[in-house]
Amino acid sequence: MTDTILSVSNLSTSFRTDRGWLKAIDGVSFTVHRGEILGLVGESGCGKSVTSQSIMRLYEEKRMVRYEGTVMLSGTDLLSLPFSRMQHIRGRDISMIFQDALSSLNPVLTVGDQIMEPLRIHQKMRGDAARAEALNMLRLVGIPAPETRLRQYPHELSGGMRQRVMIAIALACHPQLLIADEPTTALDVTIQAQIMDLIVFLNRQLAMGVILITHDLAVVAQTCQRVAVMYLGQIVEEGGVPDIFDRPLHPYTRGLLASIPRMDGDRRERLHVIDGTVPLLHQMPSGCRFAPRCPYATDHCRKEMPQLRSVSGGQSVRCWREEE
Amino acid sequence: MQSAFSTDTASLARIRKELVREQRRVNLRRFLHNKLSVVGFFIVFLMLLLAVFAPVITGALGVDPYTSLGREMRLQPPSAAHPFGTDNVNRDVFARVIYGARISMTVGFFVGLFSSLIGTAIGMYATINAVWDNILMRICDGLKAIPNILLAITLMAVLGANMHNVILSLTIVSVPGVARIARSQALLVREQTYIEAMRAAGASRFRIMWCHVLPNILSPIIVQMTFTFATAIISEASLSFLGAGIPIPAPSWGGMLKEARSYIYNGWWMVVFPAIFTGLSVLGFNLFGDGLRDLIDPLSGR
Amino acid sequence: MKKYILKRILTLLPTVFIVSVVVFLLVHLTPGDPAAMMLGDDATMEDIAALHAKLGLDDPLIVQYIRWVSRCLQGDFGTSTAVIGQKVSDMVFSHFRPTLCLAIYSQLITILLAIPTGILAARKRGRIADMITSVLSLLGISLPSFMMGLGLVLLVAVHFRALPAAGYKDLFTDGLLPFLRYMTLPALSLGFIHAAYMMRMTKTSMLEVLSSDYIKMARSKGVKEHTIIGKHAFRNAFLTVLTVIGQGFISALAGAAVVEKLFTIPGIGTLMVDSIEKRDYQVIQAITLLIAMLNVVINLIIDLLYGLCDPRIRLE
Repeated sequence: MTDTILSVSNLSTSFRTDRGWLKAIDGVSFTVHRGEILGLVGESGCGKSVTSQSIMRLYEEKRMVRYEGTVMLSGTDLLSLPFSRMQHIRGRDISMIFQDALSSLNPVLTVGDQIMEPLRIHQKMRGDAARAEALNMLRLVGIPAPETRLRQYPHELSGGMRQRVMIAIALACHPQLLIADEPTTALDVTIQAQIMDLIVFLNRQLAMGVILITHDLAVVAQTCQRVAVMYLGQIVEEGGVPDIFDRPLHPYTRGLLASIPRMDGDRRERLHVIDGTVPLLHQMPSGCRFAPRCPYATDHCRKEMPQLRSVSGGQSVRCWREEE
Repeated sequence: MQSAFSTDTASLARIRKELVREQRRVNLRRFLHNKLSVVGFFIVFLMLLLAVFAPVITGALGVDPYTSLGREMRLQPPSAAHPFGTDNVNRDVFARVIYGARISMTVGFFVGLFSSLIGTAIGMYATINAVWDNILMRICDGLKAIPNILLAITLMAVLGANMHNVILSLTIVSVPGVARIARSQALLVREQTYIEAMRAAGASRFRIMWCHVLPNILSPIIVQMTFTFATAIISEASLSFLGAGIPIPAPSWGGMLKEARSYIYNGWWMVVFPAIFTGLSVLGFNLFGDGLRDLIDPLSGR
Repeated sequence: MKKYILKRILTLLPTVFIVSVVVFLLVHLTPGDPAAMMLGDDATMEDIAALHAKLGLDDPLIVQYIRWVSRCLQGDFGTSTAVIGQKVSDMVFSHFRPTLCLAIYSQLITILLAIPTGILAARKRGRIADMITSVLSLLGISLPSFMMGLGLVLLVAVHFRALPAAGYKDLFTDGLLPFLRYMTLPALSLGFIHAAYMMRMTKTSMLEVLSSDYIKMARSKGVKEHTIIGKHAFRNAFLTVLTVIGQGFISALAGAAVVEKLFTIPGIGTLMVDSIEKRDYQVIQAITLLIAMLNVVINLIIDLLYGLCDPRIRLE
């Protein structure tokens, strides 16, 4: 087995609301290995982004948020680190890229300034050294004429270019782990493919772990080695990509897979739709969270929450039907 | 068939009425929930009461804003008989402050009313006619380029200092702001599909304006009116303080402060009470307006 | 950039035109005959008619307007009707320095007070700084500047006898310390309303910026919190605050009338109020025009600074 970079266990994040503390994610556990891309998939609002931002501890207001569980990064528990130490981890050991590069890049700072910033902070690089490294990074992410780009502002670049810049910023210090939060959702289809190729290329080149957050299973199939499926703040199924795509065990995963349009299928056939919508967090069912929408749900499902159990070949699932 | 249809619309109308009533209840609860706006409402209410019943109140205490109480009563500090003290020409400050509410409220009310009427008319008319839109809005820009208080002073200098002219010049100063708001709100409403549908159905422009646009822009205009009311109180006080507003001996708060200015070392009460009343009433109208605005658009403000 | 500046200036022209027409008409609507006023009560009809012809008062309004504008452009605002033979431009000019110094000083105080408090209020929502900001901004919009001034005089000058209650010392002829002694109370009362507003605007725009994606991105890069506030957030929030600073400067110039009268400072505000009593309309006209034009110019400068600070604007 390759060495583990990140191991998240039993991570729960709660936010304070008018109705009291609300658990946005509940007991999330997974690991990421060196050189591996882990796909984190699920519908919007299922807690993918909360998971990633909890790993980075981006919700810092203590009165408003509460973390439980552990997030081990190469032997250190990030959740128990003091805030100042955490700042050294961010951008150096873990980096993050976001969905919308235009709003994620500071409009009043030049591209060069923003790439050099993590270099200055974490590697104490100055002046020409930082500039040279920034140029390297721009070349690495495939930006032509990097010298000009360095002096430009984000709004002067195209959408794909901005995404590349954001990747360059995130990877400037060669982190062990990159969290990509829907990195291609805001882009044109052709650019999407380019950016995904770039992420895969860099993942191999720099031998870093990647958590790819997406709702697009097709992307997962093409790029990831393993995948974790989230539903309502919990992981419902996890395993190797080939296993899960060939043999989805959880009814939700099956539903997700069945809702991908296929070129080879019968075009007249209607796309599969999972009935119902995601319930709100404060109306959480007491049993299995998917039970209200599950076609196979029994009384047992509705009463008692199943646990995530490994089934075979590193695949695990949170469903009573697989227990029997 | 016919009867079924009519009962249906009747029940729909009932449900609609019920919904409207519910909405009102929700609004009222939300307004009451915001304690500051309730405070504002009470201040406004109190000031209006003082303004209306000024003669009754002062009459009950046996004081009068104009009568000199005799030389021995010059610059007396607050006492039981004269709770706010007496001024440099032996008059009761309490009576003058109460009567001052009358002047401030009158000015505020008429400036608010007139500027809302004229501003709304201009703003709405601007949305109908593109040419006039340009001209009217340029004029508004031009007027707004002259700072409000300065324009008011200039107008008062030209027109001459009296109450009617204070109302007239403050109205002129306030109209561009209201017109801008009315115009932008009317434009928003006009862009909505139902107005387009009505236009397609052949409703006249006047009818659309009067029956559909106006009711929809009324709430922001009313909110603006409370703010105009507040600003008018400040402006009137400033003008009177400069001697360009309501001429003495009328007991306007600004005018009282102008006189008090010379006695600041030996008659603090002449300064403090008119100042508190001015500040309080402006605060009241602003808080009240904030509360109203939060009702219309809970996301705005703060 | 040049194109941007040119475009800005061109859009100002209609406003400048309207302002000049309004100011011109304002004085022309004045009841009474300026010629008769200038000559006094014992003037004959012939004298008045002669002066009319000399001043061109019988020409059509539009001719008078054009003549007035072209004179104004040459810096000639006519002669005072109250002080015989005195040129209006000289009068205004000699009263301008106190007003300008006061306005600049009050803006400095405002900025130094409001921006840090606003930022603090945005960072510590619901805590003391936030509450102080809310209370102050309520007070700020409710207290007219002269009332603030009277309050300050009562407290600081009368009660504590810490600073003088009125009077003027010039920054250049009397030195900095006397200037500060005499001008601090006027500057505070002039700046208070605006400080409250600026505080509120700083807080709102900081809150907006702090919740944006690029701040999240900066945090995920490991940028320290004070760098996030100072470099990433404030540079963006400053764009909004810049406009507020411009407005503040104008309101300080305009509000000077009241505050100068209160503290007996010989600035253009005092000149204007005195001119009302003397019915010296030429002076009132000149001051109104001057401040309106300054307003236009300051807005232009703010717009240009905005373009300088926000790289997104330059490209258009």
